[in-house]
Amino acid sequence: MCGIAGFTLPPALTEERRSEAEAKLRRMVAALHHRGPDALRGVLQQGMALGHARLSILDLEGGHQPMRDEGTGLTIVFNGEIFNHAELREALAPRYTFRTRSDTEVILAAFLAEGIDCVQRFNGQFAFAIHDPRDGRLWLARDRFGKRPLYYVHDPKDGFSFASEAKALFAAGVIEPRLDPRALFETIHLWAPTVGRSAFEGVRALPPGCVAQLRRGDLRIRRYWDLDLSEERIDRALTLDRAADELEALLDDAVRLRLRADVPVAAYLSGGLDSSLLCALAQRQLGGRLQTFSVAFAQKRYDEGAFQQSVAAALGTEHHRVQIEDEEIGALLPRVVEQAEVPLLRTAPAPLLKLSGLVRSLGTKVVLTGEGADEIFLGYDLFKEVRIRQFWARQPGSTARPMLFGRLYPFLPASRRSPQMMRQFFGLGLEDVGALDSSHRIRWTNSGRIARFLSPRFVEGLQGWDPVEELLESVPAEVRSWRPLARAQYLEVRTFLSPYLLASQGDRMLMANSVEGRFPFLDHRVAEFAAGLPDSLKLRGLTEKLILRRIARDRVPPQVWTRTKFPYRAPIAEALIGERAPSWARETLCREAVDEVGVFDGDKVERLVAKLDAASTSPSEADDMALAAVATTQLLATRFIQGERFGADPALVQVEAS
Amino acid sequence: MNETASTIRTFISDTFFVDDFAADASFLQTGIIDSMGMMELVAFLEPTFGIKIQEEELVPENLDSLVNVCAFVARKRTQVA
Repeated sequence: MCGIAGFTLPPALTEERRSEAEAKLRRMVAALHHRGPDALRGVLQQGMALGHARLSILDLEGGHQPMRDEGTGLTIVFNGEIFNHAELREALAPRYTFRTRSDTEVILAAFLAEGIDCVQRFNGQFAFAIHDPRDGRLWLARDRFGKRPLYYVHDPKDGFSFASEAKALFAAGVIEPRLDPRALFETIHLWAPTVGRSAFEGVRALPPGCVAQLRRGDLRIRRYWDLDLSEERIDRALTLDRAADELEALLDDAVRLRLRADVPVAAYLSGGLDSSLLCALAQRQLGGRLQTFSVAFAQKRYDEGAFQQSVAAALGTEHHRVQIEDEEIGALLPRVVEQAEVPLLRTAPAPLLKLSGLVRSLGTKVVLTGEGADEIFLGYDLFKEVRIRQFWARQPGSTARPMLFGRLYPFLPASRRSPQMMRQFFGLGLEDVGALDSSHRIRWTNSGRIARFLSPRFVEGLQGWDPVEELLESVPAEVRSWRPLARAQYLEVRTFLSPYLLASQGDRMLMANSVEGRFPFLDHRVAEFAAGLPDSLKLRGLTEKLILRRIARDRVPPQVWTRTKFPYRAPIAEALIGERAPSWARETLCREAVDEVGVFDGDKVERLVAKLDAASTSPSEADDMALAAVATTQLLATRFIQGERFGADPALVQVEAS
Repeated sequence: MNETASTIRTFISDTFFVDDFAADASFLQTGIIDSMGMMELVAFLEPTFGIKIQEEELVPENLDSLVNVCAFVARKRTQVA
């Protein structure tokens, strides 16, 4: 796991231009130091500068990058892991002489054998760039779910630059950090930029599951993989028992591949079904040497500590935990935003930043983690809502059917559970259950309310533009014909899993402390197997992740495998407002500071803060999300726009010419 | 706009940060107020207008638009009087 960076160079370089390019590459790689503190290297070659910050995990001696194939001059910088590298190496060995044990060289060999389509063979998490000096082309690729990031700036006149994080592009000086109003508008509706935007104008993200080639200044992006949840894939004859056996074997193999490393691999344990099952499988394979890591919350309403303890005890893992207080979340948020590089509607990444710090301080570089199970095995309440809404739409006049929503939200006050109120609230989209976005309409309407806080001047240019519409237009046509649960899953992966969960809450919070996450549930074989299961084996009635429960039944304590999903959340208003709030929050949330940044309306923010400060009850979700959006946007503006620099000393980067 | 309507409108604007909304717009369906917000609204109406709202009265016909709330409050106040 690492950070990568690079940019195109003019064909002939004067000595002066050459030393400028070298300094620029040094600044880019140094800005990614947290992603790879073990080695900082770069190379200037004909037409291209490539840089790499390395976190050594595999072939500690031989796996240095940028890596070059001597015969062809093909040069790669690679962030991530190809977990099936050993099998691929064996298949490629007759035609290629390997010099190292690294998976980096396996990519080079596979690319030489079959070009960029080699990505189809990779089981892994990756973002890489390959420069081919023979024809001057640059190839870029990103893994299927977007576990590893890749951003770029493309100016047909000035050239092309790419990096694992936007901060390296700013360090290069190829673009000035300016917040993109559309990305911000998109984030407050959909929770994250989703259609190839970053939070910054001119900085684009290569979408997950895509490859790109740059040739003579022309960039072409092509999708090589997408989640296929079509009806035809489903094996109706599968019984729960047989499916569970097959899935367990697959998951076990996904874990086995992800335990491959020349350093110890540990695991995150949330206390929920998914991570507990992963820990059980890993512990069995490691013969009892697994270390587990958990976050416990000082506030009981967020805490799962008791479940974590019981799983760790039952599995006999060496368990570590960090406890987090409300005010620590506030104190960590500036660093969270520096790493995530986007506005956030949640503070939930902050505890994970603290957790990866603990992992690293104990000398561990790699953790298994359970992300993805809720998306592919239908774990979220959102999917249950879809099921109830379908059931209800068949008899729209029913008063009993909407009452099923009360089972999903037992915390709603009893009085809110009148059939009429259920109808008003959950009926949004009932007339139109066939629409692509019917599953997400309530969520997006709720978060879209944050737009009320935007300053009128900021939204001026956005009149008539609808981020939801733009997203839906980018969804492949066939998705519209899928069944409602499949459509909901697809949107959840596109809008939540890839751009938020794996990025802001995943890669960025791990890599901030130089820790690599590995996600067995997002092994594409597991995801594709899950896509072929009848919905009833995933969500039976209103019981989520049925098949995972079946597998977990014999491996984790009963109070865990019978548990209803407990959403992972963290306090927002309690962390940012009140006597113990961090000083940055007071400074950056005041009317003058908000008006100075100009994204939100200072007067409204002042009223929101006053309302939350005076409240005697817990804040509403709407107010909480609005506050998170304002605070993180303010941080993003002040840290990036006002010129803060990140990373190590550029002099530490070794650059060579080839 | 009468005084009741104006008081309620001000409360909604201040509490939920909406600048302007139609008097007959459904709070829940248009997202002006979310589910938690309905509780805040009830907690405001009772002391402000000296009324007591029963569980069975918590229905959209009484509460789910400015027009509905005004009519409901007017009916309740007649009862009290």
